[in-house]
Amino acid sequence: MTPGDISAFAQGAVVTVALSVAGILIGLPVGLGLALIRWARVPVIGRLVALYVSILRATPLVTLLLLLFFALPNVGVPIDPYSAAILALSMNTSAFNCEIWRAALLAFPKDQLEAAMSVGMSAGLRFRRIVLPQIARASLPALVNEMSLLIKVTPVLAVVGVVDITRAAVRIGAETYEPLPPFLVAVALYAPIIYGLVSLQRFIERRQAAAEAA
Amino acid sequence: MNALPHPVLNVVGVSKSFGAVEVLSDISFQVGKGETVCVLGPSGSGKSTLLRCINWLEKPDAGHVYLNGEPVGVTSAGVVMNDRRLSQIRTRIGMVFQHFALWPHLTVLQNLIEAPLQVQRRPRAEIHEEALALLAKVGLHDKRDAFPARLSGGQKQRVGIARALAMRPDLLLFDEPTSALDPELVGEVLVVMRDLAHEGMTMVIVTHEMTFAREAATRVLFLDRGRMVETGTPDQFFSRPATERARQFLQRYAAEAVTAQR
Amino acid sequence: MIHDFGIVWDQRGLLMSGLANTALLSVIAAVVSLLLGSALTPAMMSRRRAVAGAARAFVDAMRCIPFLLFAYIVYYGLPSLGINFDNWSAGLAALMLYNTAYMAEILRGAWAAMPREPIEAGTAFGFSGVRLFRRIVLPGLVLSAGPVVGNQLIQIIKDSAFLTIIALPELTHAASSIQSRYYVPFAAFITAVALYWGLCLVVEGGVNVLRRLADARR
Ligand SMILES: Nc1ncnc2c1ncn2[C@@H]1O[C@H](COP(=O)(O)OP(=O)(O)OP(=O)(O)O)[C@@H](O)[C@H]1O
Ligand SMILES: [Mg+2]
Repeated sequence: MTPGDISAFAQGAVVTVALSVAGILIGLPVGLGLALIRWARVPVIGRLVALYVSILRATPLVTLLLLLFFALPNVGVPIDPYSAAILALSMNTSAFNCEIWRAALLAFPKDQLEAAMSVGMSAGLRFRRIVLPQIARASLPALVNEMSLLIKVTPVLAVVGVVDITRAAVRIGAETYEPLPPFLVAVALYAPIIYGLVSLQRFIERRQAAAEAA
Repeated sequence: MNALPHPVLNVVGVSKSFGAVEVLSDISFQVGKGETVCVLGPSGSGKSTLLRCINWLEKPDAGHVYLNGEPVGVTSAGVVMNDRRLSQIRTRIGMVFQHFALWPHLTVLQNLIEAPLQVQRRPRAEIHEEALALLAKVGLHDKRDAFPARLSGGQKQRVGIARALAMRPDLLLFDEPTSALDPELVGEVLVVMRDLAHEGMTMVIVTHEMTFAREAATRVLFLDRGRMVETGTPDQFFSRPATERARQFLQRYAAEAVTAQR
Repeated sequence: MIHDFGIVWDQRGLLMSGLANTALLSVIAAVVSLLLGSALTPAMMSRRRAVAGAARAFVDAMRCIPFLLFAYIVYYGLPSLGINFDNWSAGLAALMLYNTAYMAEILRGAWAAMPREPIEAGTAFGFSGVRLFRRIVLPGLVLSAGPVVGNQLIQIIKDSAFLTIIALPELTHAASSIQSRYYVPFAAFITAVALYWGLCLVVEGGVNVLRRLADARR
């Protein structure tokens, strides 16, 4: 590998991480919002959210990305590859996060809420002080797992011309006529990030199990 | 029963159905200041539902609830209260739950402080001092930094009572506070409740502890299939029940209570 | 817009063959990887350290590699080892190998979470070895792991879309070629999304049947 190749990989890694972080930061609260709408059974909108989640969960990220990247300009909304990438990632992950948050909300004990009502907490206060801290803890392992899944699908962003790790590998492979080595480098860049998240998830699960047993 | 001049709690004609089943049917009673009213009745007779209608965790289908003369749940104009108004009134009605319902992410002390600080917005120093005093009173001063998961059932319920008291409520509601506890832990909770009764706390207690009801109650309400069948002093109710249903009920529970005491 | 969908309708043959390829690819990959995975699971739980370690290492490695990169490596890498592949076989091989690891992990988890008493009762009643596994362990394993395996099938369907990058003519590839030929991006891709959705609803329906069976037997 030439120094130029190394710097291409480094820049690609920055792009991959930045896009993933953007997707996660947008997807987490949006997913929570969607889950709350479904939980509160807001008429019509609740149904629409359920439909959105069901479709998005079934849609491959490539297909969603191609749809956004090619169809939005077609209906008069110009979009660059990076915005399309962030939009696709956050739409995709928000659907999965919605299901995670919703599962925690559905499992939330009713008497906890009633105890909060009986001391006169308003809906907002109940949510912020009693519900959120508990569902965040319960959802954490699943949310971290979803983050690792999100990073695992980011290589596909290269399809619309995002210059990330994968794009760097494809380009170097095409220039050198030796495609295998650059892909192995790409794997070596991805694997530690994903392994870190998977380990984090296991660590959290084990710590929570230990706390419960005590 | 004579109407009290200034009842703390006034329940007027409350009814409640779940689907086609009428769970409460035209219940009326009053609770005066310092009274300890025990609600008795067989399982499924509507005791919990009655308690939950008092602080509007359950919305009554008909009837009214007044706390110190002010309507609960509906404004004097007959409009259902918004969340804020209702919350304000609920701060004055404490509730103790069968399964404790302590907030597991907060320590014992934080459980006590949470609502007075966040809802009543009283000064932190004052709340803190009062909370510590309450913990001492229920005998859990040394557990103030423990998380609820670390406590025994009896300790949890004493925290539950202290949490309700920290709001300085006008009225305390108990829903079978000891029925989730191991038999040997029941006593420590009943002691706390008995002390409260002596200190003149106004309380409505749903319970199956007949001995406690007999000794600590100023009055007993007997519910059967959603109707208030009988009410009177514990002495009247336990020695000379007026209805056949109450007699049957007492035979079963008195027998149990006597065996349990031996 | 209606005109665009008209074009997509005219090209329905292409889309349908893409859908068929996606379904076929996913089902074959799921079945084979489930079989390979169930052979790998005992290896992961083996008492021989080296065997368990090797199996664990393979599973963890797969779980840390993005599928797209794995597909690239199989597609470009194996020929350099002298194994020549068309893109169909390369794609299918990648899907199967990759998901073998996930299936093995799913089965291991389900096995570890199984209550011990029924198995011990089986032993007490004289079951052992293969018969114990087939009559006592396996039914419970299928019921408890079934829904998770169903979810993995959905994951495989979605992963198969990545194979469009090695020009495998699956559903997304079909939509892409219609869009590039006629420039009808919205109609082409939204139709593909709807077809993926339908496919997943079918799988979810199957999962729900299995879940009900399992719930009745808890
Ligand atoms: N949310 C609800 N939906 C439908 N039915 C309900 C609901 N809550 C209570 N019920 C029914 O109302 C009746 C009265 O219930 P309630 O809990 O008030 O009885 P209880 O006297 O407290 O009984 P227990 O001593 O067992 O606690 C029961 O038949 C119960 O099944
Ligand atoms: Mg009850």
